[in-house]
Amino acid sequence: MPAEQANNRTGRATALGLGLALLGVTLSAIVLLSMATGARPIPVDMVWSALFSYDPNSTEHRIIWDLRLPRTVVGVLVGAALGLAGSVLQGATRNPLADPSILGINSGAALFVVIGVSAFGITQLSLYVWLAFIGAGIAMLVVYAVASLGREGATPIKLALAGAAMSAVMQAIISAVLLTSPRTLDEVRFWQVGSLAGRSMDIALQVSPFILVGAALALATARLLDGLSMGDDVARSLGQRIGLSRGLAGLASVVLAGSAVAAAGPIAFVGLTVPHVARAITGPGYRWILPYSMLMAPILLLGADVIGRVIAPPGEVQVGIVTAFIGAPFFIALVRRRKLAAL
Amino acid sequence: MTLRALALAALSSLALAAAAHAEPWTYTDESGQTVTLDAAPQRIIASQDAAAGLIPLGIRPVGIYADGPIADAKALQGLDLTGIEIIGQAWGEVDIEKAAALNPDLVLAEWWDRNATWSGGEDVVTLLTQLAPITGVTAGDSILGMIEDYETLAASLGADLAQPSIAAEKAAFETALTDFKAAISAKPGLRVLAVYAGDDALYVADPAGAAELLDMQSWGLDLVEPEGVDAAGNNYFETVSWENADKYPADLILVDNRSPATMKTALAQPTWTLNPGAKASQVAEWPAFWLRNYTHYAAALTELTKAINAANADLTP
Amino acid sequence: MTAIDASNIAGGRHQRESKSRRVTLGLVLALVLASAAALTLGDFPVPPEEILRSLFSPLTGITNKGVDFIVLQVRVPRLFLALLSGAAFGLSGIIFQTLLRNPLASPDIIGIAHGASAAAVFCIIVLGWTGLAVSLGAFAGALLTAFAIYILAWRNGVTAYRVVLIGIGAAAMLSAVISYLFTRARLMEVQQAMAWLVGSLNAARPGDSVVFAITLVITLPLLVMLVRGLDGLELGDDTAHALGTRVEQTRLGLLVTGVALAAFATAAVGPVGFVAFVSGPIARRLTGGAGRGIPQAALVGALVMLVSDLLAQHALPNMQLPTGVVTGGFGAVFLLWLLVVSGRSGRVN
Repeated sequence: MPAEQANNRTGRATALGLGLALLGVTLSAIVLLSMATGARPIPVDMVWSALFSYDPNSTEHRIIWDLRLPRTVVGVLVGAALGLAGSVLQGATRNPLADPSILGINSGAALFVVIGVSAFGITQLSLYVWLAFIGAGIAMLVVYAVASLGREGATPIKLALAGAAMSAVMQAIISAVLLTSPRTLDEVRFWQVGSLAGRSMDIALQVSPFILVGAALALATARLLDGLSMGDDVARSLGQRIGLSRGLAGLASVVLAGSAVAAAGPIAFVGLTVPHVARAITGPGYRWILPYSMLMAPILLLGADVIGRVIAPPGEVQVGIVTAFIGAPFFIALVRRRKLAAL
Repeated sequence: MTLRALALAALSSLALAAAAHAEPWTYTDESGQTVTLDAAPQRIIASQDAAAGLIPLGIRPVGIYADGPIADAKALQGLDLTGIEIIGQAWGEVDIEKAAALNPDLVLAEWWDRNATWSGGEDVVTLLTQLAPITGVTAGDSILGMIEDYETLAASLGADLAQPSIAAEKAAFETALTDFKAAISAKPGLRVLAVYAGDDALYVADPAGAAELLDMQSWGLDLVEPEGVDAAGNNYFETVSWENADKYPADLILVDNRSPATMKTALAQPTWTLNPGAKASQVAEWPAFWLRNYTHYAAALTELTKAINAANADLTP
Repeated sequence: MTAIDASNIAGGRHQRESKSRRVTLGLVLALVLASAAALTLGDFPVPPEEILRSLFSPLTGITNKGVDFIVLQVRVPRLFLALLSGAAFGLSGIIFQTLLRNPLASPDIIGIAHGASAAAVFCIIVLGWTGLAVSLGAFAGALLTAFAIYILAWRNGVTAYRVVLIGIGAAAMLSAVISYLFTRARLMEVQQAMAWLVGSLNAARPGDSVVFAITLVITLPLLVMLVRGLDGLELGDDTAHALGTRVEQTRLGLLVTGVALAAFATAAVGPVGFVAFVSGPIARRLTGGAGRGIPQAALVGALVMLVSDLLAQHALPNMQLPTGVVTGGFGAVFLLWLLVVSGRSGRVN
């Protein structure tokens, strides 16, 4: 019997490992699709030659390198960051509705960037990132504290409400700042709506170290999240330090969500939907949920971006709008499901 | 009877006397609507564009409402605004109490036919017309024509257009125009594109929607006319993806200068230089939609003349 | 409920009623003062005695055209609109918060205001409407959104939990709709739509308040009737059922009333946020659990709206802020206050 169990486990691990490889292949395909899609028709073999034998005199090659490659790289980074941040938040709060946008973390990051631009004249992206971290962290703490008020603690509904209220408050402050400072509006208009358009390679290079550190931290919390998922009492009895675990998970999600906002602006629902789909495939256990989310989220984000690029010519629909249209119905369906609190 | 009452009585008899001598004032706008007042209006509230047309002709409004922050209003640059109350600094907004305190007898705005509204939009018009009737010139097919309409309007309001300073400004414009025409005929084959640059896309201007571009076309400038001006969306432009920044190759590119950020945005786009004119840095400012007087027009033409003279006209076939 | 509580009820009732009356009186007094300030302050200087003369000019016949315009056509309509819309927001807020049993669950958070906004933006940008037609569209949008949320939350009955969360989801989706419409619009219409979204009392006209007042007169008796039913509801569904209250009907009736009030206020002044959000909890805090605090919530709503509008107009020397930005500030202060106060006492309500 034990041998059979062990066999089963290795079999499951192999299947999940294969699944992960399959996701990797799908992501590569979406990346290629993203490189081949745009207002200017460019054949796929030209994408290939642009990447591996760049000719600076070819207009098509320049478009691939200067527009589509940076946009795709930023999409992959931001998607991975949002997927991981969502999974970690859902695990750490044991809340199926946790998501950087629903918990107000995105607007906190946006608010601090806007204040930094207007009050201190900051215009470098490398400083945006730090402001976004601070804002994301403060917003998360306040939302969690407000939601924890009352007898039953931070229930999903109270977290969602506190997050929505906090977002609305910060949105009002953002509009006040932008109204009184048109110069700031000029400066930040470009990422007020979540979008991958017009992102340069510079942006990708500047946020990638943060996203890599955040991702490593998030992946490292897998065992802690598994412990937390058994409930605080059980985890404590097994010797886990609850506060430290939550703190590490919170730090990882703040770094990831903050970087994502700094690079692409606030994008909703990616961090919410992807972990649920991942969990449906892998079953419980963050050792698999986290890497699955990390690969599935960029597939969703880039897919949404490709849809946004082609759906309304000659204009584009920002990716943040497309993900909201995909994510909100998912969210509603999730809420309607009978057993929601089963995390 | 107190002193105050005496003074008031004296004032009112003066006012009566003045009214008795004044001619009634009428103005008929292009749509055929006529405004009639007992006397030529003295206390005018003007939209920013109407103010830009009238102040150089010696007609000073008591209040101005603008579409945005007054410091950013291109049309009012260089004009002396001392003593003029600013009653609105956002589109669709006006401080009705400030406006009422000015006790206006006329509101002068511009009629925008493509949008079927007076400057400032319906909300502003509804508020201001409670205080005084509204009229003005039509934002038409030619800036020159509009300046002439403003001259007629200003004359009816009592402006002395024969003043040497006004005549000098007009003469300076004529010289700038002659130079501009000469520059164009010296560069046959020069193709010019007028654009607005956004982070999301490049917007190619339809000359038919911009009076100053129509003027320049009539003076011989070869302006690109985009194929498909957006039916839905912004009907003054065609939206072009940055991937197709070379869709309309041109020798000289004019960039909307209503906001300085637009030029910055254009230059920051990696594919901006796909267009031969941009690659050769043959880029100049387009005084988009805001010229309303000879001084501004002359300055803009002089800048464009310089750009044309310096341009290589053979970048495009 | 413990035996001690029950024995205290009779003795405490008188004390609580007088406290609730004191609070009401204080709020009315504050409203009178704020109204006086709203009539006196402004860029058009009018001395107080002239304001009084102008207010009574329809009776006395003593007129002064310039001053009367400012007082009767500008300040009085704006004041009435602020009071009425504030009261409507406050009432709708406390209805939602009571029904959904959460102090954060107000119509401006759970999607109703977003429905009104999306509909208004659609009317302006796609249909090219202006003025009153846009307000009607916003009204319809709020009702439609509320209906959709109710239907989506229905699953063998409706729970507060599902209404709130589906409302939040709908809010996010409707915000995306608004952003999308903006990308498809002409500049002029974007400006018009932005002005509407910011929410403002600038365009207050005498007629608005009359329509508004009539609606409130129709709604209020209905509300009083329903609130009687609410006394059963608060005990929890099971108890209420046992007491014979027709739970679902009362709840639906209240929900419709709350939605109608929020929709009407939003249609009149735009999506001015947080008035509905803060009024109920403040009213309950003031009355200290004496009564349900519903009339007080209406007064608090009116006061918050009026004071916000005063600050928006006069706080900055050369600039008028949209009223919604100031009420957002109120929301921020309220959230922090909730943290501090409840952190100390350990309860939310």
